[in-house]
Amino acid sequence: MKDFNPKIVIAVFSILVGILLASQIKMNIQMVTPVTIESIKRLELEVKALRNDIDDLKSNIEEKERYLGLIENANYGDSNIIDVLEDEKEKNMMLAGYKSVEGPGIEIVMFDNINSDELSFDFNDGIIHDVDMQNILNDLRVAGAEAISINGERVLAFSDIKCAGPVIRVNGRSLGTPFIISAIGDPKLLMAAISAPGTYSDMLTRVYGIGIQPYMKDKLIIPAYSGDFTFVYAKTVQ
Amino acid sequence: MVYALIGVLIGVLIGFLLPFTYNSAYTLYVSVAILACMDSIFGGIRSNLEGKFDATIFISGFIGNAILAAFLAYIGDRLGVPLYYAAIFTFGNRLFDNFAKIRRILTSKRKDIKVKN
Repeated sequence: MKDFNPKIVIAVFSILVGILLASQIKMNIQMVTPVTIESIKRLELEVKALRNDIDDLKSNIEEKERYLGLIENANYGDSNIIDVLEDEKEKNMMLAGYKSVEGPGIEIVMFDNINSDELSFDFNDGIIHDVDMQNILNDLRVAGAEAISINGERVLAFSDIKCAGPVIRVNGRSLGTPFIISAIGDPKLLMAAISAPGTYSDMLTRVYGIGIQPYMKDKLIIPAYSGDFTFVYAKTVQ
Repeated sequence: MVYALIGVLIGVLIGFLLPFTYNSAYTLYVSVAILACMDSIFGGIRSNLEGKFDATIFISGFIGNAILAAFLAYIGDRLGVPLYYAAIFTFGNRLFDNFAKIRRILTSKRKDIKVKN
């Protein structure tokens, strides 16, 4: 073996290395990085999230298939499809707030500070403002309120609440004190959102002396939105 | 030195021309094996310059090191420990070692020529 010309031997094996190199370059691989525990965890989380997504989509598919079956059944008779559409309309009207609803919830009676000399010289501190109302409504929504009304005026997504001197305007209608807010939802949760220490309404009663009296109710009736709302500028995206 | 470079260039050319590919799962092993092969080439060049080149040792080292490095990487993958670091460290270290010695030999040769002149 010693008779081989070392240069030729080395050159031949260099060719081999070159071939390997070229084939490796051709593979066009990403950097090979060591797998850390953190990256494994991250991937696990991703996988979990994707699995959840898949489950959601599967249940969605099932629901749609059921709906499709319903429609296909309805196809055989006109009366059936009318029923389906009526059902759909009822559901949508309820979602939009055009239906009176009833259920368990709480009723809150709010009135201005009666002892006007108690707090300060500024009479503004003792009366209920639109901001107070909006904060309380928001607290209720956080606690899962499904339907809300103020003095029988339904509060919807596009409802405005505006201070107008001694009264508050809701949906363009003036309401005076005492305000009675009705909210349908889990009564305990709603109660906690209003009366727990540290909430906005708790602050109102303790600091500003505004009267807030919540009552749990087994059955509340919240009227439908009485106005007429139409979209003027907003259009569905095609 | 020059013949090895020419050889690698020819090899790269052949590699690009040949439609030869393998499963991308083996890229790690192959890259470690390439490192081992390059170390062997450098070792061969050095021993050639030193005048004690042995083809048997060179060829067995070339193939054996490559296989051992790839095997280490494979075992590391099975065990969940990046054992190929051992191969990268050893061969990388030796590569630079060999290169340093080659440099020294080449520079001393040039000096000898200058002295003779």
